[in-house]
Amino acid sequence: METGSVDGLLTYRRRCEGQTFERILVSDTGEVIINPVEPVNLPKDITNFLLMEFSPMVIEPGTSRTVYLKFPVEIGVFIESARDIEVLDVFGLGTQKYTLYGSPTTGIIARWYRSAVYPEIPAVEAFREGVMELSIHNASHEWVEVSTAVFESVDMKIYYDDLVASSATMKILSPNLAETDFIDAPLRPGMTKSVELYAARKVPVINRGYLMEWGY
Amino acid sequence: MAFNVTEVLEIPIGVGDITVERILYFAVILMVGVIIAKVVATNVRRVLAERLPKNERELLTKLVYYIIVVWAFVVALPQLNFDLSGLLVAGGIAGLVIGFASQSVVSNLISGLFLMFEHPIRIGDNINVADVSGSVEDVRVLSTVIKTYDGIYIRIPNEKVFTSNITNYVHNAARRFTYEICIRYQDDADAAIRIAKGVIETHPFALKSPAPSVFVDNLGDDGVNLTAYIWAPARNWWDVRTDLLWKIKQALEENGIEMPFPQRTVWFADGPEAKGGSAEKNE
Repeated sequence: METGSVDGLLTYRRRCEGQTFERILVSDTGEVIINPVEPVNLPKDITNFLLMEFSPMVIEPGTSRTVYLKFPVEIGVFIESARDIEVLDVFGLGTQKYTLYGSPTTGIIARWYRSAVYPEIPAVEAFREGVMELSIHNASHEWVEVSTAVFESVDMKIYYDDLVASSATMKILSPNLAETDFIDAPLRPGMTKSVELYAARKVPVINRGYLMEWGY
Repeated sequence: MAFNVTEVLEIPIGVGDITVERILYFAVILMVGVIIAKVVATNVRRVLAERLPKNERELLTKLVYYIIVVWAFVVALPQLNFDLSGLLVAGGIAGLVIGFASQSVVSNLISGLFLMFEHPIRIGDNINVADVSGSVEDVRVLSTVIKTYDGIYIRIPNEKVFTSNITNYVHNAARRFTYEICIRYQDDADAAIRIAKGVIETHPFALKSPAPSVFVDNLGDDGVNLTAYIWAPARNWWDVRTDLLWKIKQALEENGIEMPFPQRTVWFADGPEAKGGSAEKNE
């Protein structure tokens, strides 16, 4: 990633995995911000949902447990001025895959990612993966098996230092119903909060979580 | 001869005591109303630009526009000595007459309202209706505008849209498309299936679930026919469809699996020499 002057014009240029992205910048005071963003933008922005698939966990009724998952990382480049902040570029390493959650008629398209379940913060590959702290609570009256969590990325809060991290909750309501949400807190003290892509795009954010209606 | 504006304005036009001045007032009020409606509608559209989907935004904008125009019309009517309370009496008969005269307009209007609230189609959807295929440009009060895939503007009356079979290609979240792939009889169909699935797996928008399905569908005249069912997000299915087939073909060929040319094996009952042999004898 570099900025430079080409024929007297300020130019932003990014090369990643054989692809080049270039834009001419017209700015007097603008600043470039680079941080991890919600991983639902590549190769094209088609959904707001992230579906995490993980090793099945059988959970006793009334029990809570915090586990760690790995999630894909995308990097956002923003340009900020005194008046506004705008997304300039989003890129990422690795591949992307999408899936359908629910039925073709009423379901949703979601970015798909598979992770193992870790009891402690796992070692991750920098710039490719982040760590999600997931607190699962089985509020139903039955034993349940959980292997999928769907999140609405509009609510996602990402913090970073040398590690990219996010914290989320999942509440099992009934054998087919669960509610997921993100927590606006760093995984460990001192982490920096990422500029949220959806806030930058000026979509009003209502922190309401996501209700998984088609099983988990 | 001096030209007196006041006198001109007071000239009756021959309908009651309506003068040119009143006509002008009527026109000005109406014009101001339309201008206000346009300004308000534009601002409503701008304010809602990133808060509402295009379909709902356009519907609300139109609603605001027409409410203001109707309001201006009602305000302007007294200039023509039009007593609105008279409508209550005359309304019945006039309504009946107008109703008969404007059956198709009303029918289109009602159909338009149903289309707007039932949402079988939305602006931007790819549809086929009344033998017209294209993307919906606008759902208006009386008609629906479709832009065909070759860029042609087509206006269809809402009644026709409402009473026709509507095929909406992007209404559901995901849709499936099919490839037919033929391989030679001597090729390994299991390997071909594995390779095709591998290629499909690499495409981001070939959905993980519902999982793609590749299988031997039938034994054809020229080779073994494989069928691949692939699910993709409804709004991206064409990109996936155009992207994958050639990649599958290339991957198969790289692994020594080829598409057969049409071929026919002919067996002679008495062997290939029989006919030639007898011809020689005849000579």
